[in-house]
Amino acid sequence: MFAAALPLLLDSVSFFLVLLLVVLGLLVIFGLMNVINMAHGEFFLIGAYTAVAATHAGLSFWWAFILAPCVLAVIGWIVELAVVRFVYSRFIDSILATWGLSLILKQLIVVIFGPTSQSVANPLESTVQIVGTTYPAYRLFIMGASIVLTAGTFLLLYRSHLGLTIRGVIANRAMAASLGVNTRRLDVGTFMAGAALAGFAGAAMAPLMSVDPQMGTGFLIPSFLSILVGGTTSFIGVVVGAALISGGTTGLSALRDPVFAQIVVFSLAIVIIRLFPSGLFGKR
Amino acid sequence: MKILPRQVSWITLAVWAALWLAPLVLTDWAQSQLAQFVTYGVFALGLGFLWGHVGVLSFGQAIFFGLGAYSMALTSLGMIPGFGDGAFQGFVLALVVSAVSAAVLGSMLFYGRGLAGAYFGIVTLCAAVIVETAARRWDYIGGYNGLFGIPPFELAAAVTSLLPDSTGIYYLALGVALGVFVLLFWLSRTPFGTVLAAIRDNDRRMAFLGYNVALHKNIAFVLSAAVSALSGAMFVKFFGFASPTLIGFALSTEVLIWVAVGGRQVLLAAFLGAILVRSVESALSERFGNYWLLVLGAVFVVVVVFFPAGVFGGLLRLRPHRRFQIEPATAEFTEAWPPTPRAALVKGERGALRS
Repeated sequence: MFAAALPLLLDSVSFFLVLLLVVLGLLVIFGLMNVINMAHGEFFLIGAYTAVAATHAGLSFWWAFILAPCVLAVIGWIVELAVVRFVYSRFIDSILATWGLSLILKQLIVVIFGPTSQSVANPLESTVQIVGTTYPAYRLFIMGASIVLTAGTFLLLYRSHLGLTIRGVIANRAMAASLGVNTRRLDVGTFMAGAALAGFAGAAMAPLMSVDPQMGTGFLIPSFLSILVGGTTSFIGVVVGAALISGGTTGLSALRDPVFAQIVVFSLAIVIIRLFPSGLFGKR
Repeated sequence: MKILPRQVSWITLAVWAALWLAPLVLTDWAQSQLAQFVTYGVFALGLGFLWGHVGVLSFGQAIFFGLGAYSMALTSLGMIPGFGDGAFQGFVLALVVSAVSAAVLGSMLFYGRGLAGAYFGIVTLCAAVIVETAARRWDYIGGYNGLFGIPPFELAAAVTSLLPDSTGIYYLALGVALGVFVLLFWLSRTPFGTVLAAIRDNDRRMAFLGYNVALHKNIAFVLSAAVSALSGAMFVKFFGFASPTLIGFALSTEVLIWVAVGGRQVLLAAFLGAILVRSVESALSERFGNYWLLVLGAVFVVVVVFFPAGVFGGLLRLRPHRRFQIEPATAEFTEAWPPTPRAALVKGERGALRS
């Protein structure tokens, strides 16, 4: 029993950790700029396609982990300058504009790479013995890398001077600006960092799933549901939200199939959001 | 570009007159094309009312279009035992099913406060994905391929003897469109419509004034869903098929683009936006292939960011109802209409946007 459940548990945890990377970027962008970034799924998508392009170009897969965040940071910078900065104070328009951006980015991928799905060879074929079960080493590597990045983000936000500044701007933008914080530069930087995190997540997931132009949307929706279930106000809430969504999806996929899991988890998430409108851990 | 209000209403009339006279100059094929676009226009009217007038942004409006389409398809194919297979029953089923599902979804959602205004949009987006996935899996309604071979409208003999089939169909579509337009336009000018507009501008204030904001939003949502279902049912009768692409994510996005490009604040602009985008698409998509969606996305972003009024919004804007033409508030009212979120921010009401 335990031997059968362990791989499942590990699968959920690795999905959870990658989802958390996407969610973190979304959450910080929302908190800081009050922008719901609908293009965040496409940042993930571009990360995955960076891995595809890197392996096709003959580079080792590991380069993708450096290239994807860099590519996404540049794209995030362009997107911020070209579109997002115009819609900061127009909340609904920011959703629509980033939504339009996501259409553009997705279609660019279709134009460059074609609409069919691609695959990336698994760079770590070996397996590891854990408590009597064999488990792919690559997934363990992803888990480790995601934990490091998440912990790094957490430390940056809550234990550094820069994090204090960011949280200050989240709490009161006008006051922070009048105390001499360059909020404009902070916005751009945060947007780039959020995009880079999503890009890293995309590159990490590329060998584990079929890479196709729709995968961004497939990751965006669980990310939003995690935030809505957990609540936008607390870091822990979002971690729990992501855990519930990813655990539920992986568990139900194993019980029946992924489509069934998607339908049930999304529907349950909507019910939870109805019962706890500001999230399980949100402030009343 | 300032046009006298008097002339503006003439433009609205002229647009409808032009649409009524269009069959005189169009070929049969162009007429049936236009009939399809008009059907999409009705869909856009439903969303335009909900979004422009009530300020509820739905990313899942195709759910109701699809429910209408599947209801009509199942009825026409006689797949609902004991219900009959006429177009009338199809429309009844389409309206009832979509209205009930919208009421259920709305009563789940309008009480939440999650991610400010985006909350509703995101959840409807998820709902569209769920419904589309479910439709692909449900074999009774055709699964992945959908339902085919749905018989078209049977026009009365009196009509077919006077007009060619395509013209008859076109006038049917246009008649429905005009009816929906008049209904929604009238509704937006009643006191009830004024309450809806006030909710769009400041729902918290309306709640403090004693209005049941969630109920008002839900009524508008149900109405918009019924209009969407009506257009979905018409679509099925014109095209002869219903498939999962009609019920999900992609069409929900497209209708948002039509309404945004046309002009979200004016009903007729949203309607014309659908016709414009679909016409350009049918003219250009073959030549540009994959690049068409790229262009459309870019146009959408540019319109949203720099021209929130849309292509037709400024041209077709109508004067406020006579009730609002009071001295001396008139000048201020028309100047600041509609109030932008930026204006709210300047007044220091950022909290209102966030919670």
